Amino acid sequence: MKTAVSRAAHHGAHPVAWWGWALLLATAASRTANPWLLLLVVAVSGLVVTWCRGDEPWSGAYRVFLLIGAAAIAVRMVFYVVFGGADGATVLFELPSVQLPEWAAGFRLGGAVSAEGALAAAYDGLRLATLLVCVGAANALASPRRLLRSVPAALYEVSVAVVVALSVAPQLVESVARIRRARALRGNVSRSPANLMRTVVVPVLHDALDRSLALAAAMASRGYGRASDIPAAARRATSAFLLTGMLGLCAGAYALLGSATPAPVAWSLLACGAGAAVFGIAFASRRVPRTRYRADVFGGRDWAVLLSGAAAVAGTVLSGIAEPGTLWPATSPLAVPPLPLYAACGVLIAAAPALLAPNTSTKAGPR
Amino acid sequence: MTAPSSPRPAFRWRGAVAVALAAAFGLVATAWPLLAAPGGALTETTSGPWLFALLLPVVTAVALVQLAEGGMDARAVAMLGVLSAVVAAVRPFGAGAAGVETVFFLIILAGRVFGPGFGFILGNTGLFASALLTGGVGPWMPYQMFAAAFVGLGAGLLPGPNAAAPETRRGRFGEIAMLAAYAVVASLAFGLLLNLSFWPFAITQGNLTYVPGGGLGENLSRLLAYSLATSLGWDLGRAATTALLIALTGPILLRVMRRTARRARWTSAAE
Repeated sequence: MKTAVSRAAHHGAHPVAWWGWALLLATAASRTANPWLLLLVVAVSGLVVTWCRGDEPWSGAYRVFLLIGAAAIAVRMVFYVVFGGADGATVLFELPSVQLPEWAAGFRLGGAVSAEGALAAAYDGLRLATLLVCVGAANALASPRRLLRSVPAALYEVSVAVVVALSVAPQLVESVARIRRARALRGNVSRSPANLMRTVVVPVLHDALDRSLALAAAMASRGYGRASDIPAAARRATSAFLLTGMLGLCAGAYALLGSATPAPVAWSLLACGAGAAVFGIAFASRRVPRTRYRADVFGGRDWAVLLSGAAAVAGTVLSGIAEPGTLWPATSPLAVPPLPLYAACGVLIAAAPALLAPNTSTKAGPR
Repeated sequence: MTAPSSPRPAFRWRGAVAVALAAAFGLVATAWPLLAAPGGALTETTSGPWLFALLLPVVTAVALVQLAEGGMDARAVAMLGVLSAVVAAVRPFGAGAAGVETVFFLIILAGRVFGPGFGFILGNTGLFASALLTGGVGPWMPYQMFAAAFVGLGAGLLPGPNAAAPETRRGRFGEIAMLAAYAVVASLAFGLLLNLSFWPFAITQGNLTYVPGGGLGENLSRLLAYSLATSLGWDLGRAATTALLIALTGPILLRVMRRTARRARWTSAAE
C-alpha cells in the first residue's frame, strides 16, 4: 500500500506550490527591467520546467508561452517603430512621418527610430515576455486535475461542473465520430452546412444533454447536490462575511481611483475587504460537510518550493535598497546594464525546485 | 421568479447583490486607466493593476459561492458540466481565424434558456475548462472569465419568457433578432474591456500609451486610437460571427436546450 509521502514524491510538488512559485518569480520579474536579470529568470524557469515537468498533455505549454513571449517583444518593437516613443541621440534610421490631424487625436506616425528608444522598448517587451513565460512554467508544471482538487470546498458544485466538463469533452469527440459514421451508413454524404447542422450538430448536442440528465440522475441517487443541513445562522454569517468583503473591495478600489481619500486608507480598505472575502470563503468551506478521498497534503517540500520563489522577490527588494538604479537601467546614453547581485542570487535560489522536486517518473518507467 | 422544479439555479437576492458588487469591482479593475483621477493613489504606484488581476479571481469566487449556495442541484451541475465541455470543444474552432469567436453564441443561448445565474456560472466554468484542457491559463484568463460571465448573465436578463419558446412565428423571429443584437453589443463591449485590461501593460511608450493621471479625456482618445490601431478588426469579426452564429443556429439550439430544460423537471414533488 502506498503511503501519502511516497505518493506525493511520485507525483511531484503540489500544484498550488508551483503556481505560487511561478507567480512569485513573475512578481520578481515585474519589479525590474534589467535584461540580465530577466533573462536569468527565463533561464531558471526553463531549467525547472525541463527537470520537473511530467509527460502529460499540458507539459508542452511552456514552449507555447515562450512563443507568446517572443510575440509580445515583437509587437512592442513594431509599436515603437510605428507610433514612436522615447527619443534618443543615436538615430538608426528615419521613416517617413505622418502627422495625424487634431480630430484624429493628433498622433505622429513613423519618424526617427533611435537606438535608445528601441532598447527601452526591447527591455519593456522582455519584461512582459518574462512574466508570460513564468505563467507558462506554472502551466507546464501544475497538474490541472490536482489543482481542481485544491479548489475551496465552498466552490464544490462549480468545481464538480468543471470536472464533469473535463471528462465529457473527450466523449464529445467520440460522439461526433459515432454520429458521422451512422450518417455515412445512411448514405448521407451531403456537405452543406445546413445539413451538417441538422444531422450532426443537433444529434451530438442532444446526446450530450441527454447524457447530462442521466449523469444528474446518477449523481442525485448517490447523494450529490442534496441540501446540506447548514444552520440558517451560519449561512447568514457566511453571506455577511462574503458581502462585507465585496463591499470593502469595491470601496477600496473606488477610493484608490479618486484623490479625496488618502492612499493608506484606500489600501487598508482594499486589504480588509480581501481578508473578509477570503475568510468568508474559508468559513463557507468548513461548513460544507464533504470528505476527501486521499487528501492532497501541502508538505514541507511544497513550502520549500514556495520559499525559493519568495527568495527571488526578496532579492529584488534588497537590490532596490542596496543597489538603486541597477534594477531600472538607463538606456540613454547607451550603456551595458550592470547586474544587480542580490537580485541575481535570489533568482538563482529560485532554481532550487529543480533539485527539490525533480520528475523521476519518466526515468522509472511508465506509471 | 422561476418554478422550483426547473433546473435553473434560483437567483436569490444575496447572489444578485454579490454579482452587482462583483460588476462594480470588475468595472474598476478593467477601466481604471480611464477612471483614475490625477493625484489618486493608483496613479502613483505601478503595483495597483497587478493587484487587481490577483483580486479579480477572489471576487469571482465570492460571487460564485453566493450564487451556488443552495441554488444548485445535481441537474444544474451536470448540465453546466456538459455545456462547459461543449464550450471548450467549440472554442478551438475560433482560434485559427482572426476575430472568429465561437464561444459567445453558446453562452448567450444557454443564458437565455437557463437564466442569468446559470449564464454567469457557465461563462466562468466554460472558459476555465477550456483553459485547463489547452494548458492556456494565462494572465488574461481572469478577465476573460469575468467578461464571459457577464455576457451570460446579460443574456439571461433580457426581457421575455426565457424558459418557454415564444408562441408565434413573429415572436420567435423577434427573440432571435434580440439575441443577435445583444450579441453585437456584448462582443464589442467585451473587446473594449479586454483591451482596457491589458492596454497599460501592452505598450508603455509612444503616442498610444496610457498616461498616468491623464484623466478621462486624454486617455479615452488614446484608448480609442489604440483600439482602432490594434483590435477593431477582431472586435468587429467577433460581433459579426457571434450574431451570425446566433441567427443560423439559434432556432435549433434554443429548441434543443428548451427540450432538455423541460425534461429535467423530474423531481418537482421532492422539492
